[in-house]
Amino acid sequence: MTDLLAILIAALGAGALVAPLLLMGRSASALTEPQKTPFLGGSAPRTHAWQRYHARYYSMTLLFIAFEMEMMFMYPWAVVFVEEGMKAMVEMGMFLAILSIGILYGWREGIFKWQ
Amino acid sequence: MAVTALVHRLAASAPVPVFAAVGEDGLRAVDRLAVDPRVDLVASPLHAALLLVVGTIRDDDRPELERLHDQLPHPRATVSWGGNAVFEGEAVDGTVDPLPLLSDMHRALMTRARPSEPDLLPNAPPNDWRGKGDFGQGGEGMMGGVPYGRPMPMTDDDMRDGLALDAYSAPFGPFLPQFPAGLTLDLTLQGDVIQQAKVLRPPYPQHESGGAAVALRHVARMLRLLGLPARAERVLHDGPRERLAQTLSRWGAFAAIPPGLGMIDGTDVRGRLRAWCAEAGGGAGPVVEDDGPLTDLLPGLEWHEAVLVLNSLPDAALRRLVPVPKPDDDQGEHKHEHHHDHHHHDHDHGHGEAHG
Amino acid sequence: MMAVAAFVSLFALLILGTALAAVMDRAAVALASGRPMGAALKEPARRAAALLLRQKVETERPDSITWPLAPVAYLMLAAVGLSVVPFAPGVVVTDISTGIVLWGACEALTVIVVFLHGWSANAPMALIGGYRYVGIGLPVLLLSMFVLIAAALPAESLSVVEIVRAQEAGLWNVVRQPPGLALFLILGLMLTLRGPFDYADAEDLAGGTKAEASGPHRLAWRVARLAMLVSFSAMAATAFLGGYLGPVLPGPLWLVLKTVAVMAAVIAAGHMLARLPPSRMLTTVWVVLLPLSFLVLVLVGVELLLWP
Repeated sequence: MTDLLAILIAALGAGALVAPLLLMGRSASALTEPQKTPFLGGSAPRTHAWQRYHARYYSMTLLFIAFEMEMMFMYPWAVVFVEEGMKAMVEMGMFLAILSIGILYGWREGIFKWQ
Repeated sequence: MAVTALVHRLAASAPVPVFAAVGEDGLRAVDRLAVDPRVDLVASPLHAALLLVVGTIRDDDRPELERLHDQLPHPRATVSWGGNAVFEGEAVDGTVDPLPLLSDMHRALMTRARPSEPDLLPNAPPNDWRGKGDFGQGGEGMMGGVPYGRPMPMTDDDMRDGLALDAYSAPFGPFLPQFPAGLTLDLTLQGDVIQQAKVLRPPYPQHESGGAAVALRHVARMLRLLGLPARAERVLHDGPRERLAQTLSRWGAFAAIPPGLGMIDGTDVRGRLRAWCAEAGGGAGPVVEDDGPLTDLLPGLEWHEAVLVLNSLPDAALRRLVPVPKPDDDQGEHKHEHHHDHHHHDHDHGHGEAHG
Repeated sequence: MMAVAAFVSLFALLILGTALAAVMDRAAVALASGRPMGAALKEPARRAAALLLRQKVETERPDSITWPLAPVAYLMLAAVGLSVVPFAPGVVVTDISTGIVLWGACEALTVIVVFLHGWSANAPMALIGGYRYVGIGLPVLLLSMFVLIAAALPAESLSVVEIVRAQEAGLWNVVRQPPGLALFLILGLMLTLRGPFDYADAEDLAGGTKAEASGPHRLAWRVARLAMLVSFSAMAATAFLGGYLGPVLPGPLWLVLKTVAVMAAVIAAGHMLARLPPSRMLTTVWVVLLPLSFLVLVLVGVELLLWP
């Protein structure tokens, strides 16, 4: 509980340092419509920029999730590694090797390419 | 009160944040300004206090220049350097060093001794939306109407994987600092990959005869786009020299550029950068003979790659690769400016072979 | 008493470190570009003052909650990340047993905060910056956690305090696993949007996520980026360079010196190498750098088995 409180105080204290900056600069001059146009090198956009965006790396994110799950096993593994010794080493080695094949497969399939 | 005075005094001695709108024959001057520590040449008008209009500006580009002017946050001012003065702001002759004036004006703006320039465009939203629609947001149904002044992007097939997501289509330029000055492209993007490109206006002629100094500035521009602005400045500072290519190799400049990017006449962006380096050392510069349109080169490229391709081309070749739009094209484009219902795509265009 | 000392140290390091980082940043630019060094000391304050006096412009229809929140949250994450770093024996804001996990969470949330900053402006350049940053950020997160876990192995604990104690008893991690520190520095470039890993705020996007930010908002974003650099550097100094450990000088001073050294290394690295187009970088991270981090983990494991 005290840990959580301490983290919270650190976060809020830091936030309070820059928060005033984000409340400033508004009142100086009124904001007009032409000022609000997004920057396109002088041209005006036709539509809003928000869209169902084509994130090119979407298939890579699946591979990322596989590794992220592996990371969850890795945290407790790191604590018991010295105690368990060779056994832990071999287990994690196998795990990583299997996932590394995933990287190679993904690479061959072109999931790191933007197109 | 003392604090306010201190802030004003400090701000007055800051490097002058300048956004440069480059016109005909303006590039040389801007590149010289870029290495001056008293000036901060910024990439977006929202980061600038002064708008510097360099060289002659086409009449066609005046609406864009006015929009750019209005995008600068207050307090702001305009300086016209060489060429045709377009605003009321200050004007200096092209042969005069504008730095003293820029510094003075920035100082005056920061100490509130000079009033900020008012907007040039009328204070009206791009489309009338207030009070319209079911919730007063200006929209109709899921995607229709003009919510908050503009329509939403519409679904389109992707040229590569056919994933039907939204296509973002907009004119980019003519004062986008990452594009050759004056070039205005009508781009359709899916994510950050260009699907279609159409030239609306050609780049401004810079009348540069070539030679080591011009080549060096091209190298510096490429380095800035590769995330090495300080190195770029050093290259300009040190002046023309031999073995520049080896130095760039050490910084990973060639390795960073994908091989085969922007291939014209068997030379890619890497090859052209190497040629620029050679020319800066007294050798031959890049030769681009092909006159195929630039718009065939861009589709399929990611934004960063496309910007690298555009900046790797010599001025003369770039102008040759950009077909000048026919007068009726030009009129159509002006119509788009004010009419925001543009969702059709000419399918005969831009589905060519990608050069990635 | 210790708790008060810890909070004072945290905010002192964060505030003074940020100011120093701003000066170092200008000095690095001067050094790399051949400008006179003299101005570097005063320039950050002048630039900050000029930003303070300019108007804050908003786009037509921004997400007006997340837009100003992004710089605030960025700075908060820097502070939370720093809260697990011990300044001296017993002087730490929070000594949770899962300090490394908390730091990892701060890394991941940083990617989200930068994305939000790009997304919320409702402008094309900022949007592209935000999206492609996520693509590169994700694998770099993995990379950093692998090398950080390798640093935690000798300590048999995920507590940052324990990691320092283990380095006191044995070798500093930089001696045990030098490539680990080198790979961890990549995270520093990514978290602070610098040089070869600046995919969010890059020049080719007219400033990317910050392209539409003006005046005090832009200043807040800059401050948050520099504060994250301080936080990252303190973490790297603690996990790899023994934190407050060192002869003669008092512990906190050692931590500050090492933090400044890491800061200098990250700032210098930001000016040294060219940035790859995003797809090329994505392949490089997954195919070259990530397997390297596995190798670091295996090497540290084997080393621990042979010489426990």
